[in-house]
Amino acid sequence: MAATETDFTNALTPRYMAWYSFTRNPTAIIGALMVISVVVLAVFAPLIAPYPEHVGAAVNFRARHAAPDWTYWLGTDKVGRDILTRVIFGFRISLLLVVGVLAIAVPIGSALGLLAGYFSGWTEKIITGFTNVMLAIPPLVMALAIGNVLEPNLVNAMIAITLLWWTWHARLVYRVSKSIASEDFVEAARLAGASHWHILTREILPNCISVISVKTTLDAAFVILFGATLSFLGLGVKPPTPDLGSMVADGRQFLPEMWWGVLAPGFAIFYATLGFNLLGDGLRDMFDVEV
Amino acid sequence: MSELLKVDGLDVSFHTYGRRLHVLKDVTLAIPQGGRVALIGETGSGKSVTSKAILGTLPGNAKIESGRILFKGDDVLAMPRGKRDALKGTAFSIIMQDPLSSFNPVFRIGRHLDDVMRFADLRLGNRSSTAERRQRIFEVLRKVQLADPERVCAAYPSQLSGGMRQRVLIALSLLHQPQLLIADEPGTALDVTTQDEIMKLINRLVAENGLSLLMITHNLGVVRQMADEIYVMRHGEIVEHGPLSEIFSRPRQAYTRQLIDAIPPLYGANVTDQEPAAGDAIVEIDGVSKVFEDRPLFGRGHRHVAVNDVSLAIRRGEVFGLAGESGSGKTTVARMIMGLIRASDGKLRIDGKPVEEQRGSAAFRRKIQIVYQNPGTSLNPKRTVGQTLRVPLAFAGMRGKAVEDRIRELLLQVDLPDHYVSKYPHELSGGQKQRVAIARALAADPEIIVLDEPTSALDVSVQKNVIALLTRLREELGLTYLFISHDLSLMRNFCSRIAIMLRGEIVEAGEPRQVFETPEHPYTRALIAAVPVISDEEEKRKPAVSDEDRRRYLVDTAA
Repeated sequence: MAATETDFTNALTPRYMAWYSFTRNPTAIIGALMVISVVVLAVFAPLIAPYPEHVGAAVNFRARHAAPDWTYWLGTDKVGRDILTRVIFGFRISLLLVVGVLAIAVPIGSALGLLAGYFSGWTEKIITGFTNVMLAIPPLVMALAIGNVLEPNLVNAMIAITLLWWTWHARLVYRVSKSIASEDFVEAARLAGASHWHILTREILPNCISVISVKTTLDAAFVILFGATLSFLGLGVKPPTPDLGSMVADGRQFLPEMWWGVLAPGFAIFYATLGFNLLGDGLRDMFDVEV
Repeated sequence: MSELLKVDGLDVSFHTYGRRLHVLKDVTLAIPQGGRVALIGETGSGKSVTSKAILGTLPGNAKIESGRILFKGDDVLAMPRGKRDALKGTAFSIIMQDPLSSFNPVFRIGRHLDDVMRFADLRLGNRSSTAERRQRIFEVLRKVQLADPERVCAAYPSQLSGGMRQRVLIALSLLHQPQLLIADEPGTALDVTTQDEIMKLINRLVAENGLSLLMITHNLGVVRQMADEIYVMRHGEIVEHGPLSEIFSRPRQAYTRQLIDAIPPLYGANVTDQEPAAGDAIVEIDGVSKVFEDRPLFGRGHRHVAVNDVSLAIRRGEVFGLAGESGSGKTTVARMIMGLIRASDGKLRIDGKPVEEQRGSAAFRRKIQIVYQNPGTSLNPKRTVGQTLRVPLAFAGMRGKAVEDRIRELLLQVDLPDHYVSKYPHELSGGQKQRVAIARALAADPEIIVLDEPTSALDVSVQKNVIALLTRLREELGLTYLFISHDLSLMRNFCSRIAIMLRGEIVEAGEPRQVFETPEHPYTRALIAAVPVISDEEEKRKPAVSDEDRRRYLVDTAA
């Protein structure tokens, strides 16, 4: 090795730089803690919630519409069930929805975007055209239609959201993969005889991962919000399963006297959404990508 | 001569990601009144940081640890903010490096110039009217040889050529008659002929207006034309300084000597002549043209003739150089030979068979491979050296231990140690990355390698090593090179045959000795004459260029 070529082995690694900027970004850390708390509450709900029996069709008329006190920290609803318990279990439904939607929408959207960005010509035209058509459908109208045609329940709400959600990922990944596909290293791989599959999964996809993960985190917030909207409109989970959106809808009838019935689930939606948004913003700064 | 600017024991450190980088160590330099001083060094040596410290434009994470910067005896570092800002543009000003990104594309040139002038006037407390400023701007534009200031002012940055933009940048720095001009690699992004014009212009401006010049560059040929005194920087330290003639003829430091030796000579005793190859033609190109057309849905499309009726033959075992300035079509020719784009017209044959029939086949991959200009973009940042090298081997059907052995062999061939297989590109220097790129091209075991400006992104000393490696590989493996470059002095020494391209056509071809000693085409003469060289002897042996030819081929810079 020639003496003049500087040794770069001690250079800052991207991983170190990303971790450094993440740990020095207070909002990202707060967001991460909020998300972790939501996940912990949801996963360990039966252990944490004070009245796990209030999740189902329990009735406790003696304590109905109780204001928050030391027995029921966040008060009770119209049949006397503990709202804190139901909010904690409500997180479960929200996260289930997030996982269900994103586990399908993200891979499909990313795969289509990847294909459209790498292959030009008709593949690109058809995929981007179809994506644009899907983007033109108002999500709420689509969900209402599906909810009315099929039975309104969690799975159908999930299907409705998924059907539209992949489009955003397709668009984003399309943009990124198109720019990466024109890089020299992709051409070099092709000249080395690499297959399309290899180029898509080994050369282009790894360079899209940071964008996809940031977008997915930000998406989680929107899915929670959208899921709550659907169940607020009565298209989500069926009672008595606790769901943040339908709890707001239930409590709404008793406003303004029984304010706790709306405030607790409303705040829970706000808390989860904000957590994912802050985390997503933090990741975006950390990976230095545009979403 | 009194000192206009003196930098005394300057220490600067950067704080990034919780680490402290000591980038300038005890830098001391002096610029005399009316003197021309050059600061030379390779990438990362701290040249630009020095100029930024003088100008007061260091980024926020930089800290001046100690030292003084004296301008006419006053320490600018101790000055209050306002007083220091008032020096910008009037005491010293900078000629920017990149003629394109220095302009905001949505504003007209006139607006850029007027803004700078207006704010400088405000800082100095002068009141000026738009019309009066316009007069002053026109005057400065004429000074930088832009003949039609009105048109230049009304143009958007993208409507001007690179040379014209560079001239406007020079005009920007001259708006307020500064006493010290700092030129940070001016013209590096431009073609040699344009760069030559810019150098001459700066030189004249400095001489006519009695300015002092601080020239920051890595190009020693440029230094010879533009400086009287030289400071050599390395790793943030000044390792040597002295008058130009002394540094060039009797460098004291090994590092300086190494820098000077790394520059390929254009003429003289040190020039290497490559043996002409006697083999049969392996690449034959016959009357090839390439027209880029776009046909929009509405309106008339554009037609751009990138390559026009080019014929050439590359013999087995030779280094064929394709020279030309940007936009001359040399890369397009190479991409057609590689089968990456189709020719609009004409025949391309490799080993007697048309490229069209072979492209994409495994046999064709063993014929021809490419090394790209920028190793930063030709290696996937998310893949290790080993993973990158495995691709061509795996797709050639190699499996298991054979792959590992071959990777080790390839790394050995390009002088990289074994353990580099697990390194990512960001852990490598530019030269090491280019070695990996060469190893990848070798992996397919090709007969021909297209070298698309393989060293233009590297420092000269690294370039020398890479060229030595390429020469050795050619001898060991019997390779044929198609070498694309705009660096004529490098091509003089490395190529066994060379062709000069101008606007899509080959204007001259032959063995380097003959082309450089007796260039026939006026463009070739103009091109060779513009190459910056490091000795007077070489300067004298350059071909003469008549003013008429200069006008004919170098028109676009001055408008």
